[in-house]
Amino acid sequence: MTQNPLLSLRDVNIGYRTPSGMVRAANDINLDLFESDALGIVGESGSGKSTLAMGILDLLADNAEVRGQAVFNGKNLIGLPEKEMRSIRWREISVVFQKSMNSFSPVYKIGEQIHDIYKVHRPGSSRAESDGAITRLLGVVNLTDRVLGMYQHQLSGGMLQRICIALSLIFDPKIVVFDEATTALDVVTQGQVIGEIKRLQHDFHVSSLLITHDISVVAETCNRVAVMYAGYIMETGPVRSVIEEPLHPYTQGLISSFPTLESGKKMIRGIPGTLPDLKEEVPGCIFAPRCPKAQEKCRKQRPQPQEAATQHTVACHFWGRD
Amino acid sequence: MSRYLLKRFLTAVLTVLFVFVLNFVLIRLAPGDPITILAGQDNPSQEQIDILKAKYGLDKPIFVQLLAYLKNLLKGDMGTSIIYGRPVFDVISERLGPTLLLSLTGAVIALVIGTSLAIVASRKPGGLLDNIISYIAYVLYSMPAFWLGLIVILFFASYLGWLPTAGMIDARAGYTGWAHVLDVAKHLILPAGALALVGVPAYFRIGRSSMMQVVKNDYVNLFKAAGMDRKKVYRKYLFREAMLPTITTFGIRLAYIIGGSAATEIVFAWPGMGTLVLSAIQTRDYPMLMGNYLILSISVAVWMILVDLIYAVADPRIRLS
Repeated sequence: MTQNPLLSLRDVNIGYRTPSGMVRAANDINLDLFESDALGIVGESGSGKSTLAMGILDLLADNAEVRGQAVFNGKNLIGLPEKEMRSIRWREISVVFQKSMNSFSPVYKIGEQIHDIYKVHRPGSSRAESDGAITRLLGVVNLTDRVLGMYQHQLSGGMLQRICIALSLIFDPKIVVFDEATTALDVVTQGQVIGEIKRLQHDFHVSSLLITHDISVVAETCNRVAVMYAGYIMETGPVRSVIEEPLHPYTQGLISSFPTLESGKKMIRGIPGTLPDLKEEVPGCIFAPRCPKAQEKCRKQRPQPQEAATQHTVACHFWGRD
Repeated sequence: MSRYLLKRFLTAVLTVLFVFVLNFVLIRLAPGDPITILAGQDNPSQEQIDILKAKYGLDKPIFVQLLAYLKNLLKGDMGTSIIYGRPVFDVISERLGPTLLLSLTGAVIALVIGTSLAIVASRKPGGLLDNIISYIAYVLYSMPAFWLGLIVILFFASYLGWLPTAGMIDARAGYTGWAHVLDVAKHLILPAGALALVGVPAYFRIGRSSMMQVVKNDYVNLFKAAGMDRKKVYRKYLFREAMLPTITTFGIRLAYIIGGSAATEIVFAWPGMGTLVLSAIQTRDYPMLMGNYLILSISVAVWMILVDLIYAVADPRIRLS
């Protein structure tokens, strides 16, 4: 890509301090997000994908330690003073969270809570102004301003998630992070919400960072994908290229563990084994204990990302070879 | 809404009536009666006893007595105390004020202190401050109010001599105006303090666990991600939601405000309803007892309805139907 990245992650490391040692949740992450880009980060639960996104926005618990560089608008977000960070949150980078059912307080009406969020970056604005701003966006997600006078418990999960999506756009941010934004929804609603995400990516020129364990969601909504496993990025590349020709054994396993419409009676294969203990320092490839292709070298030397095809990088000593 | 209230009101009336009848019958089935006390101890003759019984209508069957009482009650007459010789209503209204003053002061102080400590402790669960407060709360929780009352009397009143040991006013001084208010306040400190201290742990524990629960809410993340000031999230959102269980607890405790501090009143010789009920039981003063029971059960019933209404206002998820 010739253009400058909007958000550029360099050697980002995130760990959680626990009484029994440091849990390495994300290691040596290098990623770029470009303008009007849609990057998906895919990986199983505990792979560190959410930690990575929340770490950049300094939204992690107090015991998290974030190091490295996350350059946005020429500023390194990591270690940015709280006050400066607050001015970037939502106005430049907003988030759509996973749990839509509890995304608002149960004791205030939705409209009032949106007004409170609106006032963070538009101090002194009236309720009418915030209502106006959100109503315009509610249309995009097929809702009306009727929801503003309602309480959280009067709305369905899908409606709440739509409100969250509309709310994420209220300040015209450059980047929207979708953190498992479709995971808690039923399949039909999920399909609708994915459609709305695609529409807003197109209409609002926002770049999106989509975090999910569901590679089919990435396939529908993203143009590039990064596959994460146990805190490491295994493979990055254009969505088509990664899904059709996965180079890393982990990606291959991940893709074959999802059913497709065309697969017929082909067996859905899982990946044997479970995530490694992230407290232990592993000298070699983190996936080696579960990898069908692992050899002695994999256990001793960590593979560095290498460009295997155009914009398609993979961190494996024996990528692609069968 | 109005249908709901009507239903609740009718249920309350039935409950009060049931409690009343039960009490009316039970106390008469209990051994002893007011006649023995009225007649004195030097072996009253059967004739004397019969005259007294007839005078207070105690010679009639229980059912007839009950109906007579209810008939008078409907006319607004709660009867005359056998021992005091004055209308029951007059005696109770004199005692209601001091009881409310003592219980309400104790309850409000307990609520404020308990909740404040909960907020402080929940900032760092498991921290030193949290541990110290929790430990003290456990100790206080295990103490009955009257026992703590005796201890504070021994220490602050008898040993240090800072505060009066008992009563509500200094009868010999005969203060008026502000001096009277100050005098009452001075007498109030120990009993209200004892009541408040044993009340603190409940509010502390409920507030603390509720606070720790609500900070885990997902919307906290949303507001934080939106750049909202942590303090604002706390003040406007978390606090109100965390207070919901506290409101319920406070409401339920207030329902027992008239009878709940009886033991403390007795320890401090506080001229409230607690001491009145105790003496009425000892002397088998039937009309006085019935009057007290009636006021107690009505206040509990009314207050329960009020708590539900308040809760519905505070928590929009609650629908009254």
